[in-house]
Amino acid sequence: MNLLRSEWTKLRSVRSTWLAALSAVVAGVALSVLGVSDLLGTSSADLPPRWDPTAESLKGFLFAQLIIGMIGALSVTAEHGTGMIGTSLVFVPSRSRLLAAKAVVVAGLTLLISALTTVLSFTAVQVMLGSSGLPVAGPGDPGVARALAAGTLYLALIGLVGLAVGSLLRSATQSLAVLVGILLLVPALGPGLPGAVGDWFARFWPITAGQAAYAVVPGAGTLAPGPGILILAVAAAGITAASHVAFRLRDI
Amino acid sequence: MNQCIDRSAAALLDDDILEWDGILSRISGSKNTLASVLLTGTTDTTGIRALSLTKNYGRRTAVKELSFTAAPGVVTGFLGPNGAGKTTTMRMLLGLTRPSSGTITIGGRPLARLDNPAREVGALLDARATHPQRTAFHHLLAFAQTMGLGRGRVDEVLGLVGLSQVAGRRTGEFSLGMNQRLGIATALLGDPEVLVLDEPLNGLDPEGIRWARTFLRDLAREGRTVLFSSHLMSEMELTADDLVVVGQGRLIAESSLDEFVRANTVQAVTVRAAAPDELARALTRAGTGVSVQPDAALLVTGTDTATVGRIAAAQGIALIELAPVRESLEDVFLRLTDDATEYEGQPA
Repeated sequence: MNLLRSEWTKLRSVRSTWLAALSAVVAGVALSVLGVSDLLGTSSADLPPRWDPTAESLKGFLFAQLIIGMIGALSVTAEHGTGMIGTSLVFVPSRSRLLAAKAVVVAGLTLLISALTTVLSFTAVQVMLGSSGLPVAGPGDPGVARALAAGTLYLALIGLVGLAVGSLLRSATQSLAVLVGILLLVPALGPGLPGAVGDWFARFWPITAGQAAYAVVPGAGTLAPGPGILILAVAAAGITAASHVAFRLRDI
Repeated sequence: MNQCIDRSAAALLDDDILEWDGILSRISGSKNTLASVLLTGTTDTTGIRALSLTKNYGRRTAVKELSFTAAPGVVTGFLGPNGAGKTTTMRMLLGLTRPSSGTITIGGRPLARLDNPAREVGALLDARATHPQRTAFHHLLAFAQTMGLGRGRVDEVLGLVGLSQVAGRRTGEFSLGMNQRLGIATALLGDPEVLVLDEPLNGLDPEGIRWARTFLRDLAREGRTVLFSSHLMSEMELTADDLVVVGQGRLIAESSLDEFVRANTVQAVTVRAAAPDELARALTRAGTGVSVQPDAALLVTGTDTATVGRIAAAQGIALIELAPVRESLEDVFLRLTDDATEYEGQPA
């Protein structure tokens, strides 16, 4: 409990945490709104066949996830960058406990940011779709509440991935580069690879798999929500374990 | 007699009146320290003990078979040129860097066995190692909370180092001197018996250095073990009681500052006399080494000014000038670590 309190003090006492939290929510909602703005003039008949107003309303995740990942990464790279990690370890020599406390605190904050981003994006987009006479999704509709919960969980898991990447690389700029790669570039370019490799990336790349979890209408060739979020969770746990081992073995 | 030796040792130092003051107070201070050691009944199982520490980075050896102790009740200076392995050693003492071989005990126990390390060992590693956006208060609070301590203790240590007025300012706005004070405050949070401070005087202005010296000496006087590093001998002269001198990762000397001065400074006297040849003969008869300098002064080794004066008086030789040859500790340090300096400027 002492450690959680300490890590929470560290996280809340730097302005960049709150700036990042605010930008994640604002940019996430704004991009979600922008994402459907080109549809507003069209009629229901012109909508694509697998029209999913829930997934459509969460397009802003594309950018929000990067900021949330960086909140996780910065919580540890800032300590390495300034050298403060040495002092932290004098106070808490158990590296496992230190990293676990960081993970819990980061997960708590990113869960909150993720929930806000998800709910606000969904609400704003449904209001816009409704006012244009397009079909909307309500939270009571089948699968919608589950999709929103999965979306929140997806973003929060990205926060943990960011923490693990930051802990492995110990540098904010390198973490940003790697996060852009795994969150944006691989999901965009991987499926274009020839044959089975491309198919694997389209289904099983953990980020892509996790994104399938917040669809209400399943996309073509994507995983079902349960296995999708599970693959992301396993991948996040794996990279967290790797960062834990590295943190324990390396000199500071 | 003892006092006399101390004075002659001190006389070899720079004749700056301030340093005289400091050295004399240091001599009297070390008596208090001895008393406090006797009173607290501390034994040699307390303090810091490093045994045969070695740290290799690939093929480079940063620290090689380094053994030393830092005792409670005194300020131990850890001295060496840049790159001598001081920081690596201190990081090993704090468990941040694993020694390739060797052992460390703090208060008689291996480092890994400390129950609540921050309450036993306080550390200043790098004064700049603070998040620039975080206030001094929150920086300290985060570390205090790891030990279940709160605002009360943070306010106390802020007061101890004189930062109460700026507690709410971001450390990015701090001068290096203020960050040093914050670093010392961080080290003191758990009220530890052992303090390991890496270059705590670095970047302080003269007023700050005087403050830090008094502060470190007071901490030692309370019975704590204080180990602090510096690459500047001048920082050691008025602060340390004991010295651990390293160069290229090896131990060069370990002794009290006084012994270090006595053992390593050349005792010599220059003298000018109305009849130099006659004096030279008298001094040679007395068994001292005499050489004639280009300016006709005599350089006499193996004796002190009082003896030379007495010999001259016995012979009825009038003296024009009589002075001890002073070698500052800085000179001694540079001479000792000359071979051990890793990086040296090449003449252009």
